[in-house]
Amino acid sequence: MKRASEKRSVDMQIILDWVEPGSRILDLGCGRGVMLEFLKQKKSIIGMGVDLDPSKIRAGVKKGLTVYQGDLEAFMGSFPDSFFDRILCSRTLPELSHPSKIIHEALRVGRHLTIGFVNHGYWKNRLGMLFEGGRFINEVYPNQWHDSRPTNPVSIKEFEYFCSKEGISISQKVYLSGDWKTPCRIVPNFSAGYALYDLAR
Amino acid sequence: MNDTEDTAPSNELGEIGLVSYADFVSREPFTFENGRIIPEFSLRYETYGHLNEARSNVILINHALTADHHCAGIHSLQDRKPGWWNNMIGPGKPIDTNRFFVVCSNCLGGCQGSTGPTSINPETGKLYQLEFPFVSIRDMVRAQKRLVDHLGVSKLYAVVGGSMGGMQVLQWGIEFPDFVGRLLPMATTSQQGSQAIAFNEVGRQAIMQDPEWLQGNYAEDGGPKVGLAIARMMAHITYLSDKGMDMKFGRRRRNEDINTVFSFDVDFEVESYLRYQGQSFINRFDANTYLYFTRALDYFDLKGQYGSLEKAFEDLKSKVLVVGFTSDWLFPPEGNREIVLAMLRAGKDASYAEIAMDFGHDSFLVESPDLYKLVRAFFSDD
Repeated sequence: MKRASEKRSVDMQIILDWVEPGSRILDLGCGRGVMLEFLKQKKSIIGMGVDLDPSKIRAGVKKGLTVYQGDLEAFMGSFPDSFFDRILCSRTLPELSHPSKIIHEALRVGRHLTIGFVNHGYWKNRLGMLFEGGRFINEVYPNQWHDSRPTNPVSIKEFEYFCSKEGISISQKVYLSGDWKTPCRIVPNFSAGYALYDLAR
Repeated sequence: MNDTEDTAPSNELGEIGLVSYADFVSREPFTFENGRIIPEFSLRYETYGHLNEARSNVILINHALTADHHCAGIHSLQDRKPGWWNNMIGPGKPIDTNRFFVVCSNCLGGCQGSTGPTSINPETGKLYQLEFPFVSIRDMVRAQKRLVDHLGVSKLYAVVGGSMGGMQVLQWGIEFPDFVGRLLPMATTSQQGSQAIAFNEVGRQAIMQDPEWLQGNYAEDGGPKVGLAIARMMAHITYLSDKGMDMKFGRRRRNEDINTVFSFDVDFEVESYLRYQGQSFINRFDANTYLYFTRALDYFDLKGQYGSLEKAFEDLKSKVLVVGFTSDWLFPPEGNREIVLAMLRAGKDASYAEIAMDFGHDSFLVESPDLYKLVRAFFSDD
């Protein structure tokens, strides 16, 4: 999984740049708390994470992080408007059950929403379907369809259309190439492997 | 991304072995929350492990309704059972006595050696019985504070407890915010709900309607044994779960002969179990203490007492981990989550984890590798 974690480090670095020091941050689908721990160390954030997986929550507890085992929608519903400076939704987007509802809720409880996702419109993903007749299996998504959680793939084009339709402003965005490192500016929906957005109401 | 899943225990699992209790006597008057004053009181307690030089390794254990200060080890080699949380506490165990100095006391108002209704009122020379002041969860905690001060401890590493013990843990964090490093409440609530009050009331009625109760003035060897046993039988059901009971007893019968004459005697295993629970309870527990403690539970209401949960937790300084259990229907996960959500809204450092177990409310007392790992994780991040 070396390449996967290397890929990960670039998007973490970008998010780090967007984060205000000492701000209050909620990580939706925090996993083992790698991102929270990183931001805590680098920017002294007040961070908390939500996840459904008990073993991941335990890993967060072990790191001394503030973590909550449960449903992220119900969790956000327990907080007043603008309670958080920023909500992080990195890699979790395609697994959300009601993306629209959750994005709006995140923009209610958070002043900023950072979303990062794998661009399904990336050319290799298109070729995979065209030539292989199936999805790519790689380091980041090593499982076949029958061994993975339900996902709801989304492309850059679809996501940006959603934002403009819903009146969500994109204050910053970064497209990364297939290596998830090199910035990519031309025809992003075709050539970007990963996209990161900083959203606000 | 190098985080190993579990903390390997530093030592082989071991047993504490023989332990004995001590009595702490506080000669200072104690004012209860309701204003009543007693001239002195004593708490029976046990300690395990060693107090380090910095006196910074103390974990205080708070017991549930009918438990006591004897939470680990054995009193004699003839003991059938060790202390009530022996699976959790000991050398190399999640609450590791090689590392921590563990203290557990019988609550004020109790009947296992601490001052309570069965104690003699020094002002009258007679048993307190119902003359004992109404005791609250906060009173229990304030009494424990005197014990801990007496032990020369200036800050607790952690306070841990389930059920009524969990309520005390919360109260510790609220009452003495600078004194407690970590709070680990389990299977608990910030507010006794209507259903739980209702069950307590049935238990109390069973005791108080027993003719032997005598308005609480029964002799030491007498008392409402039938009522107390029934109260215990019923309460015990609320500590288990439908699935847990089915796994443990099913429809198993003592008399498997299908042609047995229909009778009202004990037949199903579950009946036999409950009767045994009731009978063994009357030999170790006082009916009046049962009334006092269930009432302490009923009146526990942080929201009502402080105006809101956020207000209640306003001054909290401890790091908190609340643990709920999926099959607990007495103090369900929901109420445990509510504690954490309020703490987070109040800007506190509180985490919530849930353990999937089938044993109902008593899950926290049952052997559970998941719970052990979680407790180890919470105590290993520094």
